[in-house]
Amino acid sequence: MSGHGAATGSHCYEEVEHTADLALRIRGRTVPELFANAAYAMFDRMANLERVPLTATRRLRVSGLDLEGLLVSWLNELLFLQETRHEIYREFTIHSFTMTSLQASVSGGPAQDQHTIIKGATFHNLAIEPTAEGYVTTVVFDV
Amino acid sequence: MVNKADLKRIDDCLWEIPKDYRRDMRVPARVYADEPLLDAALLDKSVEQLVNTSCLPGVVKYTLAMPDIHQGYGPPIGGVVAMSTHDGVVSPGAVGYDINCGVRLLRSNLAADQVKPMMAEIMDTLYSSIPSGVGRGGDVKLSNKDMDSVLENGSSWAVSRGYGTQDDVLHTEEQGRIDGARASAVSRKARDRGSDQLGTLGAGNHFVELGEVREVFDESVAGTFGLFPGQLVVWVHSGSRGLGHQVCDDYVRSLQSAVAKYGIHLPDRELVCAPFHSDEGQQYMAAMACAANFAWANRQLLMHRVRRTLQELLAGRLGRLDLQLIYDVAHNIAKVEEHLVDCRLARVVVHRKGATRSLGPDRPELPADYRAVGQPVLVPGDMGTGSYVLVGTSEAADRSFSSCCHGAGRVMSRHAATRQVRGEDLQRSLALRGVTVRGPWKGLAEEAPDAYKNIDSVVNVVARAGLARKVARLVPLGVIKG
Repeated sequence: MSGHGAATGSHCYEEVEHTADLALRIRGRTVPELFANAAYAMFDRMANLERVPLTATRRLRVSGLDLEGLLVSWLNELLFLQETRHEIYREFTIHSFTMTSLQASVSGGPAQDQHTIIKGATFHNLAIEPTAEGYVTTVVFDV
Repeated sequence: MVNKADLKRIDDCLWEIPKDYRRDMRVPARVYADEPLLDAALLDKSVEQLVNTSCLPGVVKYTLAMPDIHQGYGPPIGGVVAMSTHDGVVSPGAVGYDINCGVRLLRSNLAADQVKPMMAEIMDTLYSSIPSGVGRGGDVKLSNKDMDSVLENGSSWAVSRGYGTQDDVLHTEEQGRIDGARASAVSRKARDRGSDQLGTLGAGNHFVELGEVREVFDESVAGTFGLFPGQLVVWVHSGSRGLGHQVCDDYVRSLQSAVAKYGIHLPDRELVCAPFHSDEGQQYMAAMACAANFAWANRQLLMHRVRRTLQELLAGRLGRLDLQLIYDVAHNIAKVEEHLVDCRLARVVVHRKGATRSLGPDRPELPADYRAVGQPVLVPGDMGTGSYVLVGTSEAADRSFSSCCHGAGRVMSRHAATRQVRGEDLQRSLALRGVTVRGPWKGLAEEAPDAYKNIDSVVNVVARAGLARKVARLVPLGVIKG
């Protein structure tokens, strides 16, 4: 299951009004693509991704109690990597995927144009739901 | 969505959603607001989030929203919820990601008029000397041993390293060190995130602000706090940075399994919790205390930097510059406190998420010089309008678990704010109003004054409700946004 998310872009999500924090409605044709798109959307709100070079690739493995828990783990693990390595990621390849774990590689580069800090992805009213075209979810981030 | 008809008016500034509004509520939900502020709160999901919070196991009396309530995740921002330590829970989501985000206020010996002609130079110098914004680390690199000490000793660690004085510690809530901190409860990842962030402001709504005391409402209490009309004061607003965010993330995730283990049913997974006395609950309390201590050390270092920078810049021109800490308050925290529940004094764990403690006179928790009047309650507003110093009341103990509002409260999303205003334009219009601002354009736009409720309305509600009394109103002169 490789290559998910390689074609992600700003069309894969939209911002939903939220008074204090950041809420993003994200779509994907498959669940792994939804995960890749969620990661893209999160970083797209933190920096101008067109200006991020592809100079670093990180591999990661995350797990969760269920699918929503896995999505929160995935996004928060990426935030941890982002903050400790001072990098922004814009390409996400999910190599293996189950309901409770995934392995992926992410590529990006130095975060010199980052303009927003996202503190964390939350479980608030989080549900991954099927649609006619695939899957959709709304993630609320603390900013 | 909760409708206005679902609330009953208890008095002038207090509304209640009865316990029978929803079957899973264990206590009523109360909102401190006047009618316009209540109408504003009903526009988003904040009141519904308060209802969800009323479902937590062991919640006592009622859940509360302060008049600066707005939509968050889990509980609303401006929410206060107390759980019995006997059969209640502790909830990381009810504290939030920025554990011990808080604010401190310093008084100076100068009149604001003395520095007004130099504001551009002052703000430029502060902006370059204080690590702020995205991705900027501090110049303090912590060894493992130092990190342990920061986590367990908070402000006292900072003072032991020369960042400030013992007097600062005495004038900080919990004396800058919450009991029960255990460094081993903090993950490697959280330590990594915080390792170069001590003494950094961060971004979002964090700021350093120079202000002027514009109006004094209570001369006696203002005198006790060392405030006088026309005085130059300094605000510092920041939190526990990436370390606190990671602690919250770690425990929101790990407690997901505790919810199943203890058979807890939640209306929102972000309200994840564990029984206070369980291993999981105690582990979170120990880690949260560490993050809170990290935040106090952080604000202590930030304040030290502000003092040093201003002293270097101004001492030669204006003579001696004294900057003394009036007080430091936490507004995202869970603490074990004693409160009257069913006419008995009970130990409860009070979660304040976007709310400030408000202690009245004669409380042993207060420094000796404030004990006769009560705790300074610091309420910063938006960067164009004003801020308040209030003093806590004895009545707040019974009405709000000794809690008060923490700010103006947002009414407009960051997205909407950036659509309506450009940072460059905002900087120019604020300059015309005598406020010099520095920060990234996007960050400034997100924090535009119009994105916030009117601070005067919010403070009038807490004053009318008896949660705190007005002492002084301050106006901004210069603001650095992270």
